[in-house]
Amino acid sequence: MLGIVALLYLLTFLLDPSSAKASALAALKTLEMIAPILLIVFFLMALLNTFINPKKIAKHLGKESGFKGWVIALAGGILSHGPGYIWYPMLSDLREHGARDGLIVAFFYARSIKLPWLPLMISYFGFAFTALLAFFVLLGAWLQGVMVDIFNAQKSNP
Amino acid sequence: MKPLSNRLKEASKNTLGSLVVVIPMLIAIIGLVGLFETLITPEMLHSLFSGSTVKDMIIGTFAGGVSVGQPFLSYIIGGELLQEGVSLYAVTAFILSFVTLGVVQLPLEYSLFGARFTIMRNLLSLIFAFLVSFATIEVMGILQ
Repeated sequence: MLGIVALLYLLTFLLDPSSAKASALAALKTLEMIAPILLIVFFLMALLNTFINPKKIAKHLGKESGFKGWVIALAGGILSHGPGYIWYPMLSDLREHGARDGLIVAFFYARSIKLPWLPLMISYFGFAFTALLAFFVLLGAWLQGVMVDIFNAQKSNP
Repeated sequence: MKPLSNRLKEASKNTLGSLVVVIPMLIAIIGLVGLFETLITPEMLHSLFSGSTVKDMIIGTFAGGVSVGQPFLSYIIGGELLQEGVSLYAVTAFILSFVTLGVVQLPLEYSLFGARFTIMRNLLSLIFAFLVSFATIEVMGILQ
Protein backbone atom coordinates (compact mmCIF):
# COMPACT_ATOMS: atom_id res chain seq x y z
CA MET A 1 0.00 0.00 0.00
CA LEU A 2 2.88 2.36 0.79
CA GLY A 3 4.11 1.86 -2.79
CA ILE A 4 0.70 2.77 -4.23
CA VAL A 5 0.53 5.94 -2.12
CA ALA A 6 4.07 6.89 -3.19
CA LEU A 7 2.98 6.38 -6.80
CA LEU A 8 -0.09 8.59 -6.24
CA TYR A 9 2.18 11.33 -4.88
CA LEU A 10 4.47 10.97 -7.88
CA LEU A 11 1.49 11.24 -10.25
CA THR A 12 0.13 14.27 -8.38
CA PHE A 13 3.60 15.84 -8.48
CA LEU A 14 3.83 15.32 -12.24
CA LEU A 15 0.35 16.79 -12.80
CA ASP A 16 0.42 19.55 -10.22
CA PRO A 17 3.58 19.97 -8.11
CA SER A 18 1.98 22.53 -5.77
CA SER A 19 -0.86 20.09 -4.86
CA ALA A 20 1.68 17.33 -4.18
CA LYS A 21 3.62 19.67 -1.89
CA ALA A 22 0.43 20.79 -0.10
CA SER A 23 -0.60 17.11 0.33
CA ALA A 24 2.78 16.17 1.78
CA LEU A 25 2.58 19.11 4.20
CA ALA A 26 -0.97 18.12 5.21
CA ALA A 27 0.23 14.53 5.79
CA LEU A 28 3.12 15.79 7.95
CA LYS A 29 0.68 17.91 9.96
CA THR A 30 -1.51 14.84 10.52
CA LEU A 31 1.51 12.81 11.58
CA GLU A 32 2.51 15.55 14.01
CA MET A 33 -1.01 15.55 15.45
CA ILE A 34 -1.38 11.79 15.88
CA ALA A 35 2.18 10.94 17.00
CA PRO A 36 1.50 11.53 20.75
CA ILE A 37 -1.77 9.56 20.61
CA LEU A 38 -0.03 6.78 18.71
CA LEU A 39 2.59 6.57 21.45
CA ILE A 40 -0.17 6.29 24.06
CA VAL A 41 -1.87 3.54 22.03
CA PHE A 42 1.31 1.48 21.80
CA PHE A 43 2.08 2.08 25.47
CA LEU A 44 -1.44 0.83 26.31
CA MET A 45 -0.86 -2.21 24.08
CA ALA A 46 2.37 -3.06 25.93
CA LEU A 47 0.58 -2.63 29.28
CA LEU A 48 -2.28 -4.85 28.15
CA ASN A 49 0.12 -7.52 26.96
CA THR A 50 2.07 -7.38 30.24
CA PHE A 51 -0.59 -7.14 32.93
CA ILE A 52 -3.83 -8.40 31.49
CA ASN A 53 -4.06 -11.99 30.49
CA PRO A 54 -6.41 -13.24 27.75
CA LYS A 55 -8.74 -14.78 30.35
CA LYS A 56 -9.36 -11.35 31.91
CA ILE A 57 -10.00 -9.75 28.51
CA ALA A 58 -12.41 -12.56 27.64
CA LYS A 59 -14.18 -11.99 30.98
CA HIS A 60 -14.58 -8.19 30.55
CA LEU A 61 -14.98 -7.97 26.77
CA GLY A 62 -15.78 -11.51 25.66
CA LYS A 63 -18.98 -13.51 25.24
CA GLU A 64 -19.88 -13.40 28.93
CA SER A 65 -19.11 -9.69 29.47
CA GLY A 66 -22.80 -8.60 29.37
CA PHE A 67 -23.81 -5.05 30.33
CA LYS A 68 -20.32 -4.20 31.63
CA GLY A 69 -18.81 -5.00 28.22
CA TRP A 70 -21.20 -2.58 26.49
CA VAL A 71 -20.41 0.18 28.99
CA ILE A 72 -16.65 -0.29 28.49
CA ALA A 73 -17.00 -0.29 24.67
CA LEU A 74 -19.30 2.76 24.48
CA ALA A 75 -17.38 4.79 27.08
CA GLY A 76 -14.07 3.82 25.43
CA GLY A 77 -15.39 4.98 22.05
CA ILE A 78 -16.52 8.34 23.43
CA LEU A 79 -13.28 8.95 25.31
CA SER A 80 -10.84 7.78 22.61
CA HIS A 81 -9.02 10.60 20.84
CA GLY A 82 -7.60 11.01 17.35
CA PRO A 83 -8.51 9.29 14.11
CA GLY A 84 -10.03 5.80 14.28
CA TYR A 85 -7.22 4.04 12.43
CA ILE A 86 -4.66 4.66 15.19
CA TRP A 87 -6.81 2.52 17.51
CA TYR A 88 -6.92 -0.40 15.05
CA PRO A 89 -3.74 -2.17 16.30
CA MET A 90 -4.88 -2.14 19.94
CA LEU A 91 -8.42 -3.26 19.08
CA SER A 92 -7.12 -6.02 16.85
CA ASP A 93 -4.87 -7.11 19.74
CA LEU A 94 -7.87 -7.17 22.12
CA ARG A 95 -9.86 -9.12 19.54
CA GLU A 96 -7.11 -11.74 19.28
CA HIS A 97 -7.23 -12.05 23.07
CA GLY A 98 -10.98 -12.74 23.10
CA ALA A 99 -12.81 -9.39 22.84
CA ARG A 100 -15.92 -9.91 20.75
CA ASP A 101 -16.63 -8.18 17.44
CA GLY A 102 -19.90 -6.60 18.61
CA LEU A 103 -18.08 -4.56 21.25
CA ILE A 104 -15.41 -3.42 18.78
CA VAL A 105 -18.10 -2.28 16.31
CA ALA A 106 -19.91 -0.44 19.14
CA PHE A 107 -16.60 1.23 20.14
CA PHE A 108 -16.07 2.48 16.58
CA TYR A 109 -19.58 3.93 16.24
CA ALA A 110 -19.54 5.59 19.66
CA ARG A 111 -16.46 7.49 18.45
CA SER A 112 -18.87 9.78 16.56
CA ILE A 113 -19.44 11.54 19.89
CA LYS A 114 -16.47 13.84 20.30
CA LEU A 115 -16.59 15.33 23.79
CA PRO A 116 -14.08 18.17 23.18
CA TRP A 117 -16.00 19.29 20.07
CA LEU A 118 -19.51 19.17 21.56
CA PRO A 119 -19.56 22.94 22.40
CA LEU A 120 -18.75 23.70 18.75
CA MET A 121 -21.49 21.34 17.57
CA ILE A 122 -23.97 23.00 19.95
CA SER A 123 -22.99 26.44 18.62
CA TYR A 124 -23.64 25.33 15.03
CA PHE A 125 -26.69 23.07 15.44
CA GLY A 126 -28.15 23.79 18.87
CA PHE A 127 -28.37 21.84 22.12
CA ALA A 128 -31.46 19.76 21.23
CA PHE A 129 -29.89 18.47 18.01
CA THR A 130 -26.56 17.66 19.71
CA ALA A 131 -28.21 15.84 22.64
CA LEU A 132 -30.53 13.83 20.39
CA LEU A 133 -27.72 12.96 17.98
CA ALA A 134 -25.53 11.75 20.88
CA PHE A 135 -28.41 9.66 22.22
CA PHE A 136 -29.15 8.02 18.84
CA VAL A 137 -25.44 7.46 18.15
CA LEU A 138 -25.12 5.52 21.40
CA LEU A 139 -28.30 3.59 20.66
CA GLY A 140 -27.08 2.92 17.12
CA ALA A 141 -23.65 1.80 18.38
CA TRP A 142 -25.27 -0.68 20.76
CA LEU A 143 -27.69 -1.95 18.09
CA GLN A 144 -24.88 -2.46 15.57
CA GLY A 145 -22.86 -4.36 18.16
CA VAL A 146 -25.84 -6.60 18.96
CA MET A 147 -26.41 -7.22 15.23
CA VAL A 148 -22.76 -8.15 14.65
CA ASP A 149 -22.85 -10.56 17.59
CA ILE A 150 -26.02 -12.17 16.16
CA PHE A 151 -24.44 -12.47 12.67
CA ASN A 152 -21.33 -14.03 14.17
CA ALA A 153 -23.35 -16.46 16.31
CA GLN A 154 -25.34 -17.48 13.22
CA LYS A 155 -22.12 -18.02 11.30
CA SER A 156 -20.61 -20.26 13.99
CA ASN A 157 -23.92 -22.17 14.58
CA PRO A 158 -25.65 -22.27 11.20
CA MET B 1 3.57 -16.96 36.53
CA LYS B 2 6.66 -15.50 34.78
CA PRO B 3 8.58 -12.68 36.57
CA LEU B 4 7.50 -9.12 35.70
CA SER B 5 10.75 -8.28 33.88
CA ASN B 6 10.29 -11.29 31.58
CA ARG B 7 6.64 -10.45 30.95
CA LEU B 8 7.56 -6.83 30.18
CA LYS B 9 10.28 -7.95 27.80
CA GLU B 10 7.91 -10.35 26.05
CA ALA B 11 5.11 -7.76 25.86
CA SER B 12 7.47 -5.10 24.46
CA LYS B 13 8.68 -7.61 21.87
CA ASN B 14 5.09 -8.43 20.86
CA THR B 15 4.12 -4.75 20.70
CA LEU B 16 7.22 -3.98 18.62
CA GLY B 17 6.23 -6.84 16.31
CA SER B 18 2.76 -5.30 15.85
CA LEU B 19 4.43 -1.90 15.25
CA VAL B 20 6.66 -3.24 12.49
CA VAL B 21 3.61 -4.67 10.69
CA VAL B 22 1.36 -1.64 11.18
CA ILE B 23 3.72 1.37 10.77
CA PRO B 24 4.13 1.16 6.95
CA MET B 25 0.33 0.93 6.60
CA LEU B 26 -0.16 3.87 8.94
CA ILE B 27 2.35 5.98 7.00
CA ALA B 28 0.52 5.08 3.77
CA ILE B 29 -2.83 6.10 5.30
CA ILE B 30 -1.40 9.38 6.60
CA GLY B 31 -0.09 10.01 3.07
CA LEU B 32 -3.57 9.34 1.65
CA VAL B 33 -5.12 11.65 4.25
CA GLY B 34 -2.80 14.42 2.99
CA LEU B 35 -3.84 13.81 -0.63
CA PHE B 36 -7.57 13.69 0.20
CA GLU B 37 -7.34 16.84 2.33
CA THR B 38 -5.77 18.76 -0.53
CA LEU B 39 -7.66 17.31 -3.50
CA ILE B 40 -11.18 17.06 -2.00
CA THR B 41 -12.05 20.63 -1.09
CA PRO B 42 -15.12 21.91 0.83
CA GLU B 43 -16.17 23.75 -2.38
CA MET B 44 -16.17 20.41 -4.22
CA LEU B 45 -18.41 18.90 -1.52
CA HIS B 46 -20.80 21.89 -1.65
CA SER B 47 -21.28 21.47 -5.39
CA LEU B 48 -22.50 17.85 -4.99
CA PHE B 49 -25.79 18.62 -3.23
CA SER B 50 -28.94 18.92 -5.34
CA GLY B 51 -31.84 19.97 -3.10
CA SER B 52 -33.65 16.62 -2.91
CA THR B 53 -33.69 15.36 0.72
CA VAL B 54 -33.20 11.65 0.02
CA LYS B 55 -30.62 12.20 -2.73
CA ASP B 56 -28.75 14.71 -0.54
CA MET B 57 -28.74 12.24 2.36
CA ILE B 58 -27.06 9.66 0.11
CA ILE B 59 -24.61 12.28 -1.20
CA GLY B 60 -23.96 13.50 2.37
CA THR B 61 -23.15 9.97 3.53
CA PHE B 62 -20.74 9.28 0.68
CA ALA B 63 -19.16 12.74 0.88
CA GLY B 64 -18.55 12.19 4.61
CA GLY B 65 -17.09 8.75 3.88
CA VAL B 66 -14.44 10.09 1.51
CA SER B 67 -13.65 13.22 3.51
CA VAL B 68 -10.81 13.27 6.01
CA GLY B 69 -9.71 15.57 8.78
CA GLN B 70 -10.55 16.65 12.30
CA PRO B 71 -14.23 16.08 13.27
CA PHE B 72 -14.80 19.82 13.83
CA LEU B 73 -14.27 20.33 10.08
CA SER B 74 -17.43 18.30 9.45
CA TYR B 75 -19.37 20.65 11.78
CA ILE B 76 -18.05 23.73 9.99
CA ILE B 77 -18.72 22.32 6.51
CA GLY B 78 -22.10 21.00 7.74
CA GLY B 79 -23.00 24.44 9.17
CA GLU B 80 -22.14 26.10 5.85
CA LEU B 81 -24.14 23.51 3.89
CA LEU B 82 -27.12 24.13 6.15
CA GLN B 83 -26.90 27.90 5.54
CA GLU B 84 -26.85 27.23 1.81
CA GLY B 85 -30.14 25.36 2.06
CA VAL B 86 -28.98 21.72 2.21
CA SER B 87 -31.35 19.72 4.44
CA LEU B 88 -30.42 18.89 8.04
CA TYR B 89 -30.95 15.19 7.19
CA ALA B 90 -28.12 15.34 4.65
CA VAL B 91 -25.88 17.42 6.92
CA THR B 92 -26.37 14.96 9.82
CA ALA B 93 -25.60 11.99 7.55
CA PHE B 94 -22.46 13.84 6.41
CA ILE B 95 -21.29 14.53 10.00
CA LEU B 96 -21.88 10.91 11.02
CA SER B 97 -20.17 9.28 8.07
CA PHE B 98 -17.25 11.73 8.36
CA VAL B 99 -16.21 9.89 11.55
CA THR B 100 -17.70 6.40 11.20
CA LEU B 101 -16.93 5.63 7.55
CA GLY B 102 -13.47 5.87 6.10
CA VAL B 103 -12.49 4.98 2.58
CA VAL B 104 -8.90 5.96 3.37
CA GLN B 105 -8.59 3.58 6.33
CA LEU B 106 -10.24 0.56 4.63
CA PRO B 107 -6.95 -1.19 3.68
CA LEU B 108 -5.65 -1.09 7.26
CA GLU B 109 -9.01 -2.21 8.69
CA TYR B 110 -9.09 -5.09 6.19
CA SER B 111 -5.53 -6.19 6.95
CA LEU B 112 -6.05 -6.21 10.73
CA PHE B 113 -9.68 -7.34 11.09
CA GLY B 114 -10.32 -9.28 7.85
CA ALA B 115 -12.80 -8.82 5.01
CA ARG B 116 -15.93 -10.05 6.84
CA PHE B 117 -15.54 -7.66 9.79
CA THR B 118 -14.62 -4.70 7.54
CA ILE B 119 -17.55 -5.18 5.18
CA MET B 120 -20.01 -5.79 8.03
CA ARG B 121 -18.89 -2.75 10.07
CA ASN B 122 -18.81 -0.34 7.13
CA LEU B 123 -22.17 -1.51 5.77
CA LEU B 124 -23.77 -1.09 9.18
CA SER B 125 -22.18 2.39 9.56
CA LEU B 126 -23.58 3.32 6.15
CA ILE B 127 -27.12 2.13 7.00
CA PHE B 128 -27.00 3.74 10.45
CA ALA B 129 -25.89 7.09 9.00
CA PHE B 130 -29.38 7.19 7.43
CA LEU B 131 -31.24 5.75 10.41
CA VAL B 132 -29.58 7.94 13.06
CA SER B 133 -29.99 11.09 10.91
CA PHE B 134 -33.64 10.31 10.30
CA ALA B 135 -34.39 9.48 13.97
CA THR B 136 -32.57 12.62 15.25
CA ILE B 137 -34.37 15.07 12.96
CA GLU B 138 -37.79 13.41 13.29
CA VAL B 139 -37.66 13.35 17.12
CA MET B 140 -36.36 16.94 17.15
CA GLY B 141 -39.37 17.91 14.99
CA ILE B 142 -41.76 16.21 17.43
CA LEU B 143 -40.16 17.85 20.48
CA GLN B 144 -40.11 21.38 19.05
